[in-house]
Amino acid sequence: MMPKSEFISGFFRAIVPIVVALLLGSVVILFSGDNPLNVYFLLLRESAGGWNQIQSTLTSSTVLLFTATATAIAFRAGIFSLAAEGSLIAGGFAAAVVGASLTLSSPFIAIPIVLLASMIAGLVAAAIPAALRAWLGVDEVVSTLLFTFIIAGVVTWLVQTRFQAPGQANSATSYVADVATLPRDILGSGIGGGFLLGLLCVGTYGIWVKRSSSGFAVRMLGTAPRYAKAIGVRAPIYIFSVMAMTGVVAGLGGGVHLTGLVGRYVEGFSAGYGFTGLAIAILARMNPWGIIAGAIFFGAITSAGGTVQLFSDIPLDIVNVLQGLIMLTVVVDYSVLKRKRRRSRGDSTISTPGGAT
Amino acid sequence: MISFQLFSTSLSFAVPLILAALGGLVQMRSGIVNIALEGQMLIGALVGLVTASWLSSWLLGSLLAVVAGVLSGLFITVLMNVFKANQIIVGLGFNILALGIIGYILKSVLGVSGTLQVDDPAPLPVLNPISSEDGFLASLLNDRNPVFWFTVLLVIALPIVLRKTPLGTHIRAVGFSYEGAESLGLRARRLQLGAGAFAGAMAALGGAELSMGQVGLFNVNMISGRGYVALAAIYFGAMIVIPTTIACVLFAFFEALQIRLQLNNIPASIVSTLPYVMVVLGLFSSRLFSTIRRKNVISRT
Repeated sequence: MMPKSEFISGFFRAIVPIVVALLLGSVVILFSGDNPLNVYFLLLRESAGGWNQIQSTLTSSTVLLFTATATAIAFRAGIFSLAAEGSLIAGGFAAAVVGASLTLSSPFIAIPIVLLASMIAGLVAAAIPAALRAWLGVDEVVSTLLFTFIIAGVVTWLVQTRFQAPGQANSATSYVADVATLPRDILGSGIGGGFLLGLLCVGTYGIWVKRSSSGFAVRMLGTAPRYAKAIGVRAPIYIFSVMAMTGVVAGLGGGVHLTGLVGRYVEGFSAGYGFTGLAIAILARMNPWGIIAGAIFFGAITSAGGTVQLFSDIPLDIVNVLQGLIMLTVVVDYSVLKRKRRRSRGDSTISTPGGAT
Repeated sequence: MISFQLFSTSLSFAVPLILAALGGLVQMRSGIVNIALEGQMLIGALVGLVTASWLSSWLLGSLLAVVAGVLSGLFITVLMNVFKANQIIVGLGFNILALGIIGYILKSVLGVSGTLQVDDPAPLPVLNPISSEDGFLASLLNDRNPVFWFTVLLVIALPIVLRKTPLGTHIRAVGFSYEGAESLGLRARRLQLGAGAFAGAMAALGGAELSMGQVGLFNVNMISGRGYVALAAIYFGAMIVIPTTIACVLFAFFEALQIRLQLNNIPASIVSTLPYVMVVLGLFSSRLFSTIRRKNVISRT
């Protein structure tokens, strides 16, 4: 268990950027002639105003649980990996291809096979930047960012040339077989199997990072790399492993998103979920409880933004406005406002946000 | 003749890339990686097109796009320098925010979804310095707008500014060591903010050239990764002006080729990944060589 004071300070460090972002977002809303209070009230009502709304919020947050966890794993080792987006795409594509071609009768075999395929694809998508960083020291920010575009292009090409569903005008694969579809309603609760898998994934991450020796080594690598190396942590292996795990978890997220919600791979499969996951991981400062809260928060904005757009004139773009603002406000060091005397600097090296909590 | 055309088209396509890349290059030399080029280009594309049409002047439109770019550049650089925010997250967040705000305003104020067409566009004028209609020189130099010629001047002037002038030396010094430059009495913060403003200005001008010189309308997806391609070009050109420019022309050539290939039913998506593949290969080989060199030095000593 985390000490209470730490929990509270983490809570405030996450709430302040959100409040600042909502205030700044209201400037945009005012500029367009709407009342910010109305907009935020509508968003709140449509994300948490009833059981149906809560269900769709949880559904929207499912994929974010995976991408945020994936990114947090690498952050723990001090690795700034942006690989989640690319691995998510690769994982979703693999799940679509495997899931559509399965002829099994038991979902207890079919679903694991499909999810395994998505994890392998996510791993493959993340492996090259991981190896480049681990053994050659190639800057992971650049390589993972640029790799995202390579993966997206290759997947689009594969869909168009090999896996295009017959009779489809746009580039989309066939729908996955029913047997490979994740249950969308567990025991009549309205909560999908994907969300539970997501919670399981965050929980496993939380236990790994706090309770396992490899989790400890990774945290040490992230906070005191030279000390970690000095006492014998083999940095390249660990760096490769965490970056590969980022790919595996994000790939699994892609598989879950595909088999649990979308059903097939269409162009624009990921609406930047990998980058939203990055924002959540930072907002949560890599803490598992924070990841769950952050994923639900962003899931709420996304799902409510979609509904609100349907029956009011508030565009869905409010989701991007708020997400972008939160990303900016969360990395700002507010203490600068208090201590003006201290000279600050723009660091050319990329530091990881926060530190281990 | 066809290859002339392809090369000539590549040069046109290269203009927004070169502007954004050279802006980002100066900022990277000052010690900041600018991932926000994509969003800054988008802002420039919108501001340029709309204000040029309002004021019926391509020149004022371009200048206002530059002003918007300067403001955006100062904004993100203040966050990074004064508020010590992480450069990558600010860049990614800024791109998402720019896309969100522009999409929001387009829909709620102008009532259009995604694409904006202006009534009286004031496109960039076209200059024809060569009187003859055909030939290599004509296809190279004719039908070019003022921003193209500005870009040519920039490519020539920037290496001189960066290498030979005190300003260029100071910017590079700040990027090399922020504290070191400060301890020598340089106004490091001011230099970094200036480089950020310049990067924003050039990226926005590139975006404006795209909307006012090439496309003629605005779409929220019109930049389609050009800011990231420009970033890739900076890495491919190892932060040196001429190689970065050549990389931009090469990547623009892929773009031109991609359009040509599409006509022959060859999927464009693979061609569009080429710039990124080349940069990853470039990073790989340069790190590989330096690692081997380091190992050799160690084994010799």
